[in-house]
Amino acid sequence: MSVWEMLFYILVFPGLLFLLAWTFFVFYFARKTLAYIHKRVGPHYNGPAGTLQTVWDVFKLLTKESITPKSADPYLFNIIPIITPLVAALPVILIPWSPAINGGRPILDTDYGVLGLVVLIGVEPFLLFLTGFGSHNKYSFLGGMRILAQMISMEAPFFLAALSPALLFGTMNLYEIMYSNNWLTTLILLPGAIIFIITMLGILEQPPFNIPDAEQEIVYGFYTEYAGTNYTLLKFAEFTEILVVSAAAVTLFFGGYRGLFFDSFWWLFLKIAILALIMVAIRASNPRLRLDQMLKFTWSWLTPLAILNLVWVIFAKLYILGV
Amino acid sequence: MERIKEVLNNFDMEYVEDYKPTWVKAKLKNKDDITKVVKALKEVGIRSCSTVSPTDFPEENRMEINYFLEDIVNKKNVWLKVDIDRDLDKCEIDSITPILESADYHELESYSTFGVKFKGHPNLRYFLISRDYYGKFPFRKDFDWEEHEKHLIENVNAIAEEFFEEYEENEKTVGHEDSRTVLHWGPTHPASGPIRLKVYTNGENIEKVEPDIGYVWRALEKLSERKDFIGTIVAVERVCFMDNTNPMICYAQAVEEIAGKEITPFAKYMRVILGELGRTVSHLISMGGFFGTMGLQTFLMWCLDVREYFLDALEDYSGARIATACIEPGGVRYPLNDYKAWFEEINKAIEKWEKTKPDIEDIFLKNPLMTTRAKNKGIFSHEDVIDNYLQGPIARASGVKTDVRIDEPYAAYGELKMDYVTCENGDARDRLEIIYKEINQSIDLIKQAMVKIEEGIEKGEMDPKKDHLVKMPRRMPAGEAVSRVEWARGEMLMHLVTTEKSTNPYRLKIKAPSVNHTRMLEKLIPGHSLSDIPLLYGSMHICQGDLDR
Repeated sequence: MSVWEMLFYILVFPGLLFLLAWTFFVFYFARKTLAYIHKRVGPHYNGPAGTLQTVWDVFKLLTKESITPKSADPYLFNIIPIITPLVAALPVILIPWSPAINGGRPILDTDYGVLGLVVLIGVEPFLLFLTGFGSHNKYSFLGGMRILAQMISMEAPFFLAALSPALLFGTMNLYEIMYSNNWLTTLILLPGAIIFIITMLGILEQPPFNIPDAEQEIVYGFYTEYAGTNYTLLKFAEFTEILVVSAAAVTLFFGGYRGLFFDSFWWLFLKIAILALIMVAIRASNPRLRLDQMLKFTWSWLTPLAILNLVWVIFAKLYILGV
Repeated sequence: MERIKEVLNNFDMEYVEDYKPTWVKAKLKNKDDITKVVKALKEVGIRSCSTVSPTDFPEENRMEINYFLEDIVNKKNVWLKVDIDRDLDKCEIDSITPILESADYHELESYSTFGVKFKGHPNLRYFLISRDYYGKFPFRKDFDWEEHEKHLIENVNAIAEEFFEEYEENEKTVGHEDSRTVLHWGPTHPASGPIRLKVYTNGENIEKVEPDIGYVWRALEKLSERKDFIGTIVAVERVCFMDNTNPMICYAQAVEEIAGKEITPFAKYMRVILGELGRTVSHLISMGGFFGTMGLQTFLMWCLDVREYFLDALEDYSGARIATACIEPGGVRYPLNDYKAWFEEINKAIEKWEKTKPDIEDIFLKNPLMTTRAKNKGIFSHEDVIDNYLQGPIARASGVKTDVRIDEPYAAYGELKMDYVTCENGDARDRLEIIYKEINQSIDLIKQAMVKIEEGIEKGEMDPKKDHLVKMPRRMPAGEAVSRVEWARGEMLMHLVTTEKSTNPYRLKIKAPSVNHTRMLEKLIPGHSLSDIPLLYGSMHICQGDLDR
């Protein structure tokens, strides 16, 4: 890998520029779709059909004053928004993005891809907890505690669901998992995929599991004290995480960038967009759950189901695929 | 009725007389008897106190206190008066809160604004009014507003200083040793509106809630004393912007009663239509806001979409969408020059609602996540409703049959077909469903009233261009009246006092339902978790406009 190649990966694709473009896109996409369901117009004036609105919004936020509250821990408060997007962007190197890059393989082609993905995604909420902790605000702290509670209970089924394709194909290499996938295995893995998508909503703090940043209850939780650049960075991290986790779901369960007739990045993008659409639709039609209801749901339903799913995958491997 | 009169006659009364079909009006001679009278009344079933309204007569050196006591179940009400001394150190009377707990906030309000000391009140404190009025009793006739306003800046600074002192003291005393802390839910909270709930929590569990109100206190009752009888409708309609027409109906009825005028049948039906339009508009926001408390804005947007059509109808009639000022003493304000076009507009709104109804039912009222959160949460029993005097939709959600439109028909409600709409369980979910049912009932009433008007015009009994207003006298005779309407959130009661040849109200007491509903939060919320505050608060459909006035 040459230096230029590496710089291209870091700065353009799938690095900084791509993630920025994705942030603008998904922000716009969510706003416009939500507006359509709300019977509103949504972004309208800037650019064709309001496409530039989110770009302006992000730059407007960057020009705003970054306030550090008197009572907050200044180092923790300001350093976490820098670390968070970096950690959120790390799993990008483990995912095979396009046949045109690195021969279709992930940039870091390792045999422990699934493990790395799950661990790097799982680190993120602890950083967000630290933002709540460093803000020294009651609401932020409550938000931080809620993140921890949600993370601990969501991670078990998340892990178990991500394990099912690895178990079925006998490898943790994401590239190999992606290429072993076919219509039959997709069907076998469907229960796992559904559990993965549900836990994904929890890990990304999307409705109905947006408990840690519930605005009506605890005033946006850990976001309460953030403004300006810091807020932008945290939001950027959030959207990056949405991209990474959806891409992980598509790679693990729905064949990544492989598609009908030809393989391309756009197939991956289409699948991610469909996942994003599902997320927006759930967000537009369902109220938030309570914390204790979420705990009950994950521990008494989701985790046992995820374990049962593993049993099903082993059964299918032995008797349907006959390996 | 006879039984109540018998009970009242056992005491030393100046007079006991009938007033309207459902009221007994009585005046007590000796103020020391008040607790005994109320106790005796409680035994015959009068268990709710609607409000306490003092009237100040400086010339005669007396303060007249009006108690409005109600029996919700049997629809028998008592209007009890008693005179007390006006001097600040002698201005005291026994509190009835230990007997009828629904009098609690109303007594506090009377103490803060008139300086009536209620002996034996469990927690007598200044309430509702802003800090710079503490100890000055702003609703007394001799309170100098101009002098007070001269010191506005000083007062604001004093409030700010006091706040910082309190803040520093709290920093020292309120520590974070264990998981207990105090959260301020409001007044700038995304879901609260201008009210502050001091929430004492242990982790996520709530131990105690103290409502702190008065953030939008506009002294409307005092303001109306400075305006003339027509100008007062502007103050009255600003009680709450959501349901704007019904308070004006309530006020107009009180004025008409004192003037001794009867309005035309056409105006009566118009009041029904306008009142029900106002109720629908308000209920649509309440219903959407209920889901907003759980983080789902879609429903609110859909409701606002439907609401636009109803506002269009209001705009067509009055020229304004929110603050319509379309009802005045003597009838309704404007003639209907083209009644068919206006009815067309209303029909359009009704059609829009009918078209949205199936979606609302399928997506939102049957939403499984909403049901898991709201079912069996915050249940009010029959007893709770009567003892704390919860009203309107909240009472009907618990299956209590109370509705002023049927109990004491006003406008043209007596001639329309309607029945009590009720739910059974009285939990948060039922308080959402009742709103939905009531919108349907309102629309049914609007349709009936429109048919009646059309029939009347065809028969030549009504003239929409002339019948809208009866001429009212320019100067009012002395008198007082009580008028009640079923407002969107419950019973609204106005007590109007006038003097001989007056051009403006001498005293106007506005009683609105949110006061009791806010008081109920103290009992409702503790024991639940933090996530339930917005849900339970939203389920009470509280509006701070009518809470603070």
